[in-house]
Amino acid sequence: MAKDLTLLLIIALPLLGFAINGLFGKKLPKTIVGGIATAVVFVSFLLATTLFSGLHGTQIVKLFNIINFDQLQINASFQIDALSIWMTLIITGIGSLIHLFSMGYMSHDEGYHKFFTYLNLFIFSMLLLVLGSNYFVLFFGWEGVGMCSYLLISFHYNDAQKGLANSLAGRKAFIMNRIGDVGLLLALFMILGQFNTLEFLSIGKALQGDTTLQGGAMFFITFCLFIAATGKSAQIPLFTWLPDAMAGPTPVSALIHAATMVTAGIYLTVRSNFLFELAPFTKDIILYVGLATTLVAAFMALRQNDIKKVLAYSTVSQLGLMFVALGFGAYTVALFHVTTHAFFKALLFLGSGSVIHGMHEEQDIRKMGGLAKLMPLTHLTFLIGTMAISGIPFLSGFFSKDEIMAQALHHNPAVYAILVLAVTMTAIYMFRLYFLTFHGAFRGGDTLKSKVHESGLSMTLPLIVLAVLSVFGGLLNLPGLFFKNAAHWFDHYLSHGTFGLSEVHNAHLDFSTSIGLMLFASIIAVGVMIWAYLNYAKKGALAKEDAALNGWERLSAQKLYIDEIYNTVFVKPLLALSDFVGKVVDVQLLRNGVYALADGILNTANLTRKWQTGFLSSYLFWMVFGLIIFVAYYLLKLSVWH
Amino acid sequence: MALILLPLVFSLVAWFIPSNITRIYGLIASAAALVVSSVAVCYFEPSEHLLIDFGLRFVRFSIDSLGFTMILLTNAVFFLVFLSNFKRSITNEKRFTALALLMQFGLLGVFTTNTILGFYIFWELTLLPIFLILYWFGSFDKPRALLQFFLYTLLGSLAMLLSVIGLMHATNQQTYEALLAADLSSLGNTSIFLMGGFLLAFAVKIPLFPFHTWQAETYTKAPTAGTMLLSAIMLKMALFGLLKWVLPIFDGVATDFWRWPIITLGIIGVVYGAVVAIRQQDLKTLFAYASLSHLGLIAAALMLNNFDTNQIAVVQIVNHSIVSIGLFLAAGIIEQRLGTRELGQLGGIAKVAPRFAFWFAVLTFVSLSVPFTAGFIGEFFLIKALFSANALTGFLASTTLVLGAVYMLKAYQAPMFGPTINATFEDLHWSEIAVFAILSIAAIYLGLAPQCLTDFVAHSLTQPTH
Repeated sequence: MAKDLTLLLIIALPLLGFAINGLFGKKLPKTIVGGIATAVVFVSFLLATTLFSGLHGTQIVKLFNIINFDQLQINASFQIDALSIWMTLIITGIGSLIHLFSMGYMSHDEGYHKFFTYLNLFIFSMLLLVLGSNYFVLFFGWEGVGMCSYLLISFHYNDAQKGLANSLAGRKAFIMNRIGDVGLLLALFMILGQFNTLEFLSIGKALQGDTTLQGGAMFFITFCLFIAATGKSAQIPLFTWLPDAMAGPTPVSALIHAATMVTAGIYLTVRSNFLFELAPFTKDIILYVGLATTLVAAFMALRQNDIKKVLAYSTVSQLGLMFVALGFGAYTVALFHVTTHAFFKALLFLGSGSVIHGMHEEQDIRKMGGLAKLMPLTHLTFLIGTMAISGIPFLSGFFSKDEIMAQALHHNPAVYAILVLAVTMTAIYMFRLYFLTFHGAFRGGDTLKSKVHESGLSMTLPLIVLAVLSVFGGLLNLPGLFFKNAAHWFDHYLSHGTFGLSEVHNAHLDFSTSIGLMLFASIIAVGVMIWAYLNYAKKGALAKEDAALNGWERLSAQKLYIDEIYNTVFVKPLLALSDFVGKVVDVQLLRNGVYALADGILNTANLTRKWQTGFLSSYLFWMVFGLIIFVAYYLLKLSVWH
Repeated sequence: MALILLPLVFSLVAWFIPSNITRIYGLIASAAALVVSSVAVCYFEPSEHLLIDFGLRFVRFSIDSLGFTMILLTNAVFFLVFLSNFKRSITNEKRFTALALLMQFGLLGVFTTNTILGFYIFWELTLLPIFLILYWFGSFDKPRALLQFFLYTLLGSLAMLLSVIGLMHATNQQTYEALLAADLSSLGNTSIFLMGGFLLAFAVKIPLFPFHTWQAETYTKAPTAGTMLLSAIMLKMALFGLLKWVLPIFDGVATDFWRWPIITLGIIGVVYGAVVAIRQQDLKTLFAYASLSHLGLIAAALMLNNFDTNQIAVVQIVNHSIVSIGLFLAAGIIEQRLGTRELGQLGGIAKVAPRFAFWFAVLTFVSLSVPFTAGFIGEFFLIKALFSANALTGFLASTTLVLGAVYMLKAYQAPMFGPTINATFEDLHWSEIAVFAILSIAAIYLGLAPQCLTDFVAHSLTQPTH
């Protein structure tokens, strides 16, 4: 099959699934609805693998012309290259696993067909985002995934207890994303102003021949792009929507708020690498924002008691880590972590979904414990995910984190030191979560205990596949120490097949430093694991109740009061301004001013009493009458002129 | 010619129709006008003009591609208004049907007349029916509110009349082509005043800040059908007048003089309307301020008088008609079923009326300019044009993305989600579903293929000389 046809099919299939389930889903049986939705994404994945294996250089597929002005042409066109196909593989691959999982997880839900309709629409939008060959198509997808995210976060708006909270969480996510979108919009305008095109390749090529475009313009463009990235990828200051987004069904958290959509900001930066390379100051900003985010979010995760909230802050923290890599210009390293993170974070979220499903919608880890025996498969896969994210040697997370740490050590030891702290906290909160959930005694009461069950095959199968990927994902990009020829496959793949990346080189450490780095990281991860085992499993330490928290613990549990601060600094003033403008300026000043003026005119007129008959029809009559006289007069007069 | 006269004939006939079939009559009459114009457009060569000349001095019509677009829009709007009000008592009123069709005739006249005086006359002609509709069918407890609308409009009309006369006097011309060819540079500052007269009338109608205070109150008190007519098509007369008549004729000194003042007012309106909308409790008032915000953007972008932007402005004009019919219909449905539009007294409708929840959501997203809707293309290119003219202006305009999300999601979520306050809610009637579906399809079609509209209208937009 021709490549362009394959590509269009990859994009069209989820849209087809969306259309079928959207139009007829209500009447179709659940297995067919879920089956169609899963199948279209899976076939897209299979098609993407054929593109992947036949990948050769960059290819543009033009579909149609969106807008065609004299000086500006914008096409609906797509780009096949190493980066876009890799993202496509992640989105459709993990996407189909999560679709499969959802067939079990959502089986009792009234809105089953609606859920899969939205999910397919999301996959479609996400594919537009990563496959577009220009910023406009990217922006289409960018806004599209934001809308799907909103729909899916507030999916259970009818829930008796949490309905209102769910819909508010969706709104918050949408609005915060929109703030980021303004950044993207402005960046696009500036790019158009500079290059008069939005095509990635044309911009990149224009920059190759021109070195004058450094400095101010590049800074503003890349800075606005980064603002957009902070919105989608939940970085400081726009990160607070992501933990709230956990209000959505858990498969949504796994797909959108862990594996795919939230990495869009990283994709955007990697895609625009040729712009960022000309803006060193922006890269510094990215580095420090990423660093602050990874640290702050890891701290907040330490004392969360909602299983999904821990994972949410963990996601924010890991995304921050990826931005640190981007700040160093190590684009392939960031994308490697995007990949492994997609594996183990999707696994962890789906695992938590399996737990929540088995626990009949209970999410509080204070009510869990001892689930290892009750849900053995979920337990095993969750353990693998925990080990992978914590950096236990030779699992996928170990390798991808190590790459980032190596970059940090090479460029800036202080950054490295802070990352060590963040990474240690990651291991601490993850093992705390794991042990409190799966070990010790069950704390949810006997009635609940008797009902807890392991999930069905459609849910455990994706867990197993993701667990395997989480274990072996590191093979994609082995360090150069031991595996001379097989090493850095991913770096090569990406940098040779993506525009701009071949000119960017990652720092490489010498042999002994690399070994030392890995050893140190291993010691931390294993050390924390052992400590957590002793503390939580052996000693039986439990999560404290809110009242018993000490100073730093309360700060962590209350998320540093960021939501409250934002509320005071931004939300309340905006509402007050709206009240003031609406009630005082608009009504009292402007509208009543007009009234006063009108009354004045009427009152001073001599015929006041006759006019104010109180009947509007007489006003109208006189108005129309006057107008007719007026017009007739001028018609006559003008006729005389000519 | 039948294209324009048809509604007038229908309007006159309406008085003699038995009341029990009035609503069907209105629907058929507006559908007939829509069908005739749709068929006519198929035979229309967009690069040509359709000139209708009776040899009379002031009665000359000429239809170009922009005119045709507006005719189609007008006829579509009236059809949708009749369709969406099919279940309401208002369409059973002879007076309403006759007046609405008369107004349709006036609007078609505005969009097709070839003489400047004709433009003024038809402009005024549209006012009479809408005044009477508001007066007879609105809920104006105090005449003051309606009087405000009336005075504002009168003030604007008066200014425009003076300008029309002045322009005809100064150039000794009155047809569109002759005025376009006339050289106004010799007029100097006079041309600035003449343009100012038109702009004042337009500023009241669009409305631009600070001439908007009639809007919220009038929209709120008007019957739903009246609000739709006002917002979806009547105020488009002003944007059309700007695009077709005033900007090309006054291109030069006068446009340069007025450009930034009007853009400033437009942008103030964008931000001001959005900020005020956030805290409105009445659904219709909220949508009225949203409208102020959306139209400020179009007016500001039009003032750039840039060939590409003008084409996109037409897309956005159509989009705004779609959005305003949809949103005011949603507000009207809630009001009709529950007797209130206060957000505080509403909640949980989605649970009892899923079809309404779905379609209201679609229209909410259309108004939020999500991808695949006309507004996405429209907003992107209008803000882009403003940004390249002046970065700060573009930035302020882009805040509509965020603020729009704030008030629109509130307007949707407050009545639809949350605890159920309204346990019974009659779900949508087929006629209402049809309206929502037509609007959505139109918005998505324009969002995917804006080119078909921009290319079409480009034929009749003049390339500015500057």
